[in-house]
Amino acid sequence: MTQDNIIQVEDLVKVYPGEVKALSGIDFAVGRGEFFGFLGPNGAGKSTTIKILSTLLRKTSGKVGVAGFDVGQDPMAVRKTIGFAMQEVGLDDLSSGLDFLVMQGLLYKLGRKQAKARAAELLELVGLTDVADRKVGTYSGGMRRRIDLAGALVHRPEILFLDEPTTGLDPQSRLAIWDHLNELHLQGITILLTTQMMEEADHLCERLAIIDTGRIVAEGSPADLKQQIGDDVVRISIMSSGGAGLSSAGPGVSPEGASSGSTNGSTNGATGDPVNREVYDRALALVSGQSYVLGSSVVDDELVVSVRDGDASAPNLLKLMIENSIEIARLAVSRPTLDDVFLQHTGRTIRSDNGGGDEFAQSLRPWLGLRRGQ
Amino acid sequence: MARGTMMTALISETYFVYRRNLKTWLAVPANVISPLFISGLLFVIFGATFERSISLGGFGTQDYRAFLVAWIIVQVVVFSGADSGFSLLTDIMSGYFDKLLLAPINRFSILFGSLLVSGTRALLQALVVVFLALAMGVDFQGGVLGILAMLALAVVFGLVWSCLGIMIALKTRNAQVTQTSGVLFFPFIFLTTAFMPEDQLSGWFKVAVKINPVTYVMEAMRAIVVDGWDWPTILTGVWVALLMMTVLLMATTWLYRRQTA
Repeated sequence: MTQDNIIQVEDLVKVYPGEVKALSGIDFAVGRGEFFGFLGPNGAGKSTTIKILSTLLRKTSGKVGVAGFDVGQDPMAVRKTIGFAMQEVGLDDLSSGLDFLVMQGLLYKLGRKQAKARAAELLELVGLTDVADRKVGTYSGGMRRRIDLAGALVHRPEILFLDEPTTGLDPQSRLAIWDHLNELHLQGITILLTTQMMEEADHLCERLAIIDTGRIVAEGSPADLKQQIGDDVVRISIMSSGGAGLSSAGPGVSPEGASSGSTNGSTNGATGDPVNREVYDRALALVSGQSYVLGSSVVDDELVVSVRDGDASAPNLLKLMIENSIEIARLAVSRPTLDDVFLQHTGRTIRSDNGGGDEFAQSLRPWLGLRRGQ
Repeated sequence: MARGTMMTALISETYFVYRRNLKTWLAVPANVISPLFISGLLFVIFGATFERSISLGGFGTQDYRAFLVAWIIVQVVVFSGADSGFSLLTDIMSGYFDKLLLAPINRFSILFGSLLVSGTRALLQALVVVFLALAMGVDFQGGVLGILAMLALAVVFGLVWSCLGIMIALKTRNAQVTQTSGVLFFPFIFLTTAFMPEDQLSGWFKVAVKINPVTYVMEAMRAIVVDGWDWPTILTGVWVALLMMTVLLMATTWLYRRQTA
C-alpha cells in the first residue's frame, strides 16, 4: 500500500501571514485509485490543504508528495497530473462553455484540433452539449459545477481535486455531480474531495479524514469510523420543567431555555436554564453508570447516548429515567452518522460550528476577502 | 528544458492568454463603444469651450482641436491602464486566475498576455481618436508616418499605466480601490500642457507641469500633430515613455513574481 500511495503528506504545517496557523502538522496518504475525503467545518483547513497539494499555495513546512513529485520542488510536474474543480468555481463568465473547455485544452498543451475534440467529448460527458455555445455566465449553479468539472478533466489527470463540489447546489444537481464522480472513480481516477456534508462524505468516499482546527482528528472508512463510536445512538430530550419537583421556572416550558437551546451549539449548552442543566447533568451521571452504555454527552438540548444495540437499550434507558423521576419529552434511536463521529472527536457538531470559523476567516481576510470580496 | 523550447512555449502560452483576454474584453460592447463616445465628447466639448483661446498665441497651430489631440490620446490611454487592473481583478475574484495558475504553463505568460491586451487596447483607442480627429478636419503635420509613430508611443505609454493598474490590483485585491484608482491618475493628466501651451502657464502650475513626466510624452505627440518632425521634442517624449515603461515593467514583474510564488 505505501508503495502505491499517490499522495503522501507528512507533518504538513501552514501558517498564514499574521501567525495564523491553518494547519498544525497533518499526515495522511491516499492510495492510487482511491476516493478520499476531507470532512470538516468551515475554516478547519480543508481548502488550505487542497490548495497546497495542488501548488496554488506554499506550505510552511512538511513533506508533500503528489504523484511521486514534491510540490515545492517540481510544481510543474504536479500540475500536469492533477485536475482541480474549485469551490469558487473559477469560470470565465464571458466565454461560451465550448470556448472555456477549448482554452483549458490549449493550456494543457493539447493542440487546437485535439482541444476541440476533447471539449466536445467532455461536453457530452457532463451533458452540456446543448448549451455549449451559451455564455457560461448564463448557466445555472449545477451547470457551472459540471462545466468546471469538465474543465478539470481536459488532460485526463491521474488525480482529481474537488473543493466542496456541491456546496450550495439543489439536491438534484448534487446527485448529478455525485453520479459523475462515482463514474470517474470507477474509471480508476484518484479523487480527493473536501466537504462539509456528512451525506456527501458517506455516499462517495472510501476513506475519510475528519479535520478540525488544522488537525486530523480521525481517519478511516465511513463504516469504520461509525463503528468506532458505538453501533447505535439514543437521543433523549428531557422536559424542561421535569426533575427536582418544584422549580423556579414555574409550570410549562421555560421560554428562556427553549430559545437559548435552539441557537446554542456549544458542548454543554443544554440550556441557559440552571434547573434544566442540573437535570441533564443528573441524567448524564445516571446513564454513564450503565454497563451497556459506551459513551454519553449532552448536546443541543439532547442527551446523546452511544450503545451497542439501540432497540434493546431504549426501553432500559426509558425505565432508568422514569425511576429517577426525569420526565422525557422525546426519545429517538438512530444508527450513528458521521456527524456523531465528528462530535465524538471534537465535542461539537459540524453544523453548529458555522460561527466557529469566523475569527479564523477574519484573520484570513487578505486571502478570503479577495475571492469573495464583492 | 532547452532555453529555445521554453521561449517557444512562453510565446504560445502568452498568445493563448492574450487571445482569451482580448475576447473577454471585446465580449462587452460597452468596452468598445465607451472610448469612442468619450473621445468624441472630449473633442466636441473642450474643442468648443477653448476654441478662441488660440488667439492667445503659443499653440503652434490655428486649430485648437489639433492641439487637443495629444491630450485626448493620453487621457484614453491612461484610463485604459486602470481597466487592465480591473480585468485582472475580475479574474482573480472569479477564481479564473487560479485556474490559469493551475495549468502547467509559465506563470509569466499570464502577466504578459494581460499586458499585450493592454497594449492592443491602447492602440485601438488611440486609433479611434486619430480617426475622430481626421473626421473633424485636423491636419496631421507628421503625415501617415507621424500617425504611426504617435500610435506606437501611445502603446508604450499605455503599458506604463497598465503596469500601474495591474500593480494596484495585485497589491490591494479590492475591486472598489482598483476601479477608482483611475482618480489617482488625474493629476498626472491635468498637470500638463493639456489645454494651454507652456508659454501661457505660470507660477507653481508651470513648475508642476515641468516636473510631470507625462507632459513630455504629451508634447511629443503634439509635436507630431502640430509641427511635424520636431525631433528634439519627439525624442524626449519617447525616452521618457520608454524609461517609465522599463521601470514599471520591472516593478510589475517583481510584484507579480512575489504574489504568485
